[in-house]
Amino acid sequence: MSIEVEVDESDLAEMVEQVWESYLDPEGVSPLIPTYDENQPSEVHSSVSITGTWTGHVVYASSRAAAQRAAAAFLAMDLDEVSEEDISDTLGELANIVGGNVKAMLPPGSQLSLPQVNLTPESSARFPNTQRIGGVYGVWEGEPVSISMWQSRIDNKEEGA
Amino acid sequence: MKILVADDSRVMRQIVVRTLRQAGFGDHDLIEAADGQQAFEMATEQQPDLIISDWNMPHMTGIDVLRRLRGAGNKVKFGFVTSESTAEMKTAAEEAGADFFIIKPFTAERFDEVFAPILG
Repeated sequence: MSIEVEVDESDLAEMVEQVWESYLDPEGVSPLIPTYDENQPSEVHSSVSITGTWTGHVVYASSRAAAQRAAAAFLAMDLDEVSEEDISDTLGELANIVGGNVKAMLPPGSQLSLPQVNLTPESSARFPNTQRIGGVYGVWEGEPVSISMWQSRIDNKEEGA
Repeated sequence: MKILVADDSRVMRQIVVRTLRQAGFGDHDLIEAADGQQAFEMATEQQPDLIISDWNMPHMTGIDVLRRLRGAGNKVKFGFVTSESTAEMKTAAEEAGADFFIIKPFTAERFDEVFAPILG
């Protein structure tokens, strides 16, 4: 018996929309447009792990151009001023914000890890013994962005048994 | 007034500072701490009027900073800005003497709502 996941794709979509409204598209002119394509390419990604009442990972992935644009929006700077460190910090914060919001919807007793950032495609990431259980996939100003949840097969079975 | 922004994420400190400016609080003296230990030291030494703190930070968490300050009799206005807002955390924050709890992502309107009564 596995535990029921308390966060579904519409919850995730709502969290992502809030991030866009607050930081990435406060003017409401360039929203994330859904593609529903879970296989869309990425060039960089970040993740946070949640352990406890639900165990798994929340992963943010995008093209490098989208990450650069996110950093410019977060740090209020021009695109050409954005450094590698700005991109990394921004990707980490994006995973942290969405992951924290996911954790807040879970039953009490979960821990959120510090974010991990990899300037490589999400397809290169390995989360052993997990399966992707849902995500928000879209394009932002023509660039791919996705936020997905990966659930641990082992731990959640043990927790819910 | 002096406002201390404590967050281990440089990006989030900048967003908090920018949002304070957008909400009309940019004329206050804004100082920053990059972890809980530094936040506690700056709170003691520089005596800010308001502390806006992350929850999860290296060396000392935000709630530990608050508990230590209150334990030492420091009544500074103190609250959290965090993406993790569970009922347990809110209760712990209230019991420790927090004045506000803001969830990330936040807007300038939310900052105005929370900080206008404090900063005037």
